[in-house]
Amino acid sequence: MQTLHRVRADHPHSTPRLRLVDEKRGVATGPCGNMLIVSDDLAQGIGSSVVSDSVVVAAGEEWVADLNDPGPAGHEAQAKLHHLILRATRHQVWRLRDQVVAASAGELEDLAQQAASDAMVAVLGKLETFEGRSKFSTWVFKFGVFHAGVAVRRQAWRYREVTLPDTLDPVDLGAAPEAHAQGSDLARAVRRAIAEDLTPHQRKIALALLVEEVPIDVLAERLDTNRNALYKTLHDARRRLRESLMASGHLDQPAQGSAS
Amino acid sequence: MNTNGHDLPQTLLDKLLLDTSPYLSCDECFERLDRYAERVVADPQHADLPMQVHLNACGACAEEAETLIDLLSGRG
Ligand SMILES: [Zn+2]
Repeated sequence: MQTLHRVRADHPHSTPRLRLVDEKRGVATGPCGNMLIVSDDLAQGIGSSVVSDSVVVAAGEEWVADLNDPGPAGHEAQAKLHHLILRATRHQVWRLRDQVVAASAGELEDLAQQAASDAMVAVLGKLETFEGRSKFSTWVFKFGVFHAGVAVRRQAWRYREVTLPDTLDPVDLGAAPEAHAQGSDLARAVRRAIAEDLTPHQRKIALALLVEEVPIDVLAERLDTNRNALYKTLHDARRRLRESLMASGHLDQPAQGSAS
Repeated sequence: MNTNGHDLPQTLLDKLLLDTSPYLSCDECFERLDRYAERVVADPQHADLPMQVHLNACGACAEEAETLIDLLSGRG
């Protein structure tokens, strides 16, 4: 069993990413096949506004164009942006407050404010990646919600050790008795598959996330990795377990045509 | 509780054996989340299999989706 202590690592959502944008004015196809509108005429046709060569916003959100303005208009736009972000971080902190039961109202507000600062940096760093596929406010909210969630989970686990079990056996499965499968063949086969068919890394990650219930971004911080990498490991581990159990006849084969 | 050494909580079995295909990464989920949330708010029956599979399998992303939908629904 490995024990991990808290280390700080930036999440990929916090770092600016390159953008693939067709520089030509007109209509270009975005990375997901959605239409990216970069023409004034077209934008006006759908009730949106073009605020730069590549940013389209909904009616009422034209202030976004001022965000990079060094003057008073820029300050006003940034204040509007911060207001939107803070609305999102406060809402998320409030929704997740049960995870930090010991926190006072002031501490919850501090968490919301700090998350808003982090989200503000992320949003301003990624402004060029906004493609107008949603309202700008919705796009902004998701950064606020993300950073607030990370902040709450980090706070909740701040003083908790994270253990990486090597096997299922020593884990405290202290759930309600009625929730237990009664020593079924399936449970036996799952234990065997975890022990024999998963790699040591897959086993540790799957058990930490699903048995110890360590939040994925907390585990990512402690392991100096990211949410993506852990989710992929878990996805691969689950697939291996299912394949093993299908091979042993404990699980039905999936319907033909389903992807993996 | 775990008397015979083999029984496992059904909820844990379900989580371990969850089929998370088609695969969608957390970053891709985040990329799509704003548009997805707007569509769900406009139509609660809106179907997006990769997003729904991911949100059913990833607690952190699901938490974010719920809050964003909440905000867009005027509850924030
Ligand atoms: Zn995720």
